[in-house]
Amino acid sequence: MTTNTPAGNLAATGVVPGFPSAGRIVARGSTALALLGALVIWLALLGPFAVLIQHLSLHSIRTALGPPGALDPLWVSLGASAIALGVMVLLGTPLAYLLARGRLPLARLVELGILLPLMMPPLVIGLLLIFLIGPEGTLGMLLADIHLTGVNTFFALIVAEFYEAAPFYVLGAHAAFASVDPRVEQDATLLGDRPLQAFRRITLPLAAPGLATGLATAWARAMGAFGAVIIVAYYPRGLPNQIFIAFQEFGLSGALPFALLLVVAALPLPVLAYLWSARTRARVAGVEAP
Amino acid sequence: MNATPTRLLAVELGVERRDVTVQASFGLEAGQRLAIFGTSGAGKTTILESIAGLTRLSRGNVRIEGHLVAGKAGNEPALAPRDRQVALVRQPTTLFPHLTVEQNVAYGIRRSPARGRVTELLERLGLSMLARARGSALSGGQRQRVALGRALASPFRVLLLDEPLSAVDVAAREALRSLTIETATERDAAGIMVSHDLTEAQAFGDQLAVIDAGQLLQVGGALDVVLSPVSRRVAELVGYGGFVPAPLAADGWFAIHPDRVLLGAAPERGVVLSGIVLSTRPFGPRYECTVTESSGARFTIHVDEPLPAGVECTITALDPPVVAA
Repeated sequence: MTTNTPAGNLAATGVVPGFPSAGRIVARGSTALALLGALVIWLALLGPFAVLIQHLSLHSIRTALGPPGALDPLWVSLGASAIALGVMVLLGTPLAYLLARGRLPLARLVELGILLPLMMPPLVIGLLLIFLIGPEGTLGMLLADIHLTGVNTFFALIVAEFYEAAPFYVLGAHAAFASVDPRVEQDATLLGDRPLQAFRRITLPLAAPGLATGLATAWARAMGAFGAVIIVAYYPRGLPNQIFIAFQEFGLSGALPFALLLVVAALPLPVLAYLWSARTRARVAGVEAP
Repeated sequence: MNATPTRLLAVELGVERRDVTVQASFGLEAGQRLAIFGTSGAGKTTILESIAGLTRLSRGNVRIEGHLVAGKAGNEPALAPRDRQVALVRQPTTLFPHLTVEQNVAYGIRRSPARGRVTELLERLGLSMLARARGSALSGGQRQRVALGRALASPFRVLLLDEPLSAVDVAAREALRSLTIETATERDAAGIMVSHDLTEAQAFGDQLAVIDAGQLLQVGGALDVVLSPVSRRVAELVGYGGFVPAPLAADGWFAIHPDRVLLGAAPERGVVLSGIVLSTRPFGPRYECTVTESSGARFTIHVDEPLPAGVECTITALDPPVVAA
């Protein structure tokens, strides 16, 4: 049965008398504002990349990166970041899981400890690390017993990168595990899985997109770590240090090729991780990947 | 030889919740099915999750084939979840969202020969066409079918179902219920279903338990509990629509069930009552009339023809149970 009442007409047109123009103006205004915001942010973020490309010539790249040993900072950064990341995954993954499941005693205190390096200026972290792992530090003296030195060594570089990057991985992994309904893990164990099997078959695949994003962010942070690194590990020279030194010695033109090298080395993993995460999330959600 | 064989499932539990203390005590033999019926929040799900060992008990314990699965009993270790042989269908439904429908159903199957059963199950669940779809792409009813299939495919001895068909089309429920009962019977398993729908509960359980505010008020045969409620509260919960003072029983009331009345006086079949019709409204294919009796007590009856408000009517309540206030 159809009605010809005003209500019936409203339902048909979806228009509320007295409000259409105001509603549309607000909607259009919000959209325009959002687009403008997106444009400004994109320009602000991509601007420096454009400048980097614009100010680089093939000649300056060859001059800076051509000599023997010029790529050593790259290998140092890649090696130290990879090891720091490995340690992060090994220690940070169980920690993040237990935090997400609320199974850790003094969880708030642990969380605060993880957040602290994010809140502190990296330079200060570097200074404090010298007190901790430097030759005169409490831990430093213990490290000396096993022939490790916490200042100006590859080991010191790994520690400094770890401090700057680990919170990004642990917090990312925490969010990723928290997004997995604990009830599906319980279902898996009731269906015959051991806890580790349930973790491998259910928790890990579901948390993987978030873990990948956290890992990629931590990788980018570790590769670009500078504040703490320059205090505790001026040597061996990683890429960020090399950029700083080249800038001091040769100015912008000398630093830019190494900046490009750092971007090229650090960025693909995060970009790939982001694309993979987005695709996996969309697949699990039953939506086509963009 | 043990003179008293171990029950398949023995439950003696107490769980302190913030709102209510849930207590339950019952046992099931192999092949028995119990339906727990009650309102939302009464403690039905708590009982199921306690039996599965997923909820910490405040007291008591749960045993499956004599093995401790929840609670404490001296230094006896509780059986690990994977060894409990419990299948649980939850409300709201939980699926493994990254797996396909087929992978979800096959999840609990460890031996490859049993995988042939998955294809058959998918067909009987009406999911063959969706075998390669992921859980997130399914409707509520389809998700429930997958969760049910996953439970039925696993090697369970105790089947726990929390409103397993609530989102399934009414037309498909009978087939799914039959499949569930058939599978439980084949495995010689014990089954428990909780529901707030009495007809659904009766269709599953040969035993019916009524729960209210955390307490099991009555456990008995699926029809016996409805025909002979032990208290006014149980009678209210199982659908009695009014209470009339019983002249011969001090503090006793006839419980009048709307569907267990005849129009007119038939004293040989029950208790004859007279009253004035207060209101009449459609009730499915019938009518529901509210009647006030001479004592002032009100009750409702379901009739085929509408009774106009204000007329006097006589009805016979068929063997109404007498319940205490």
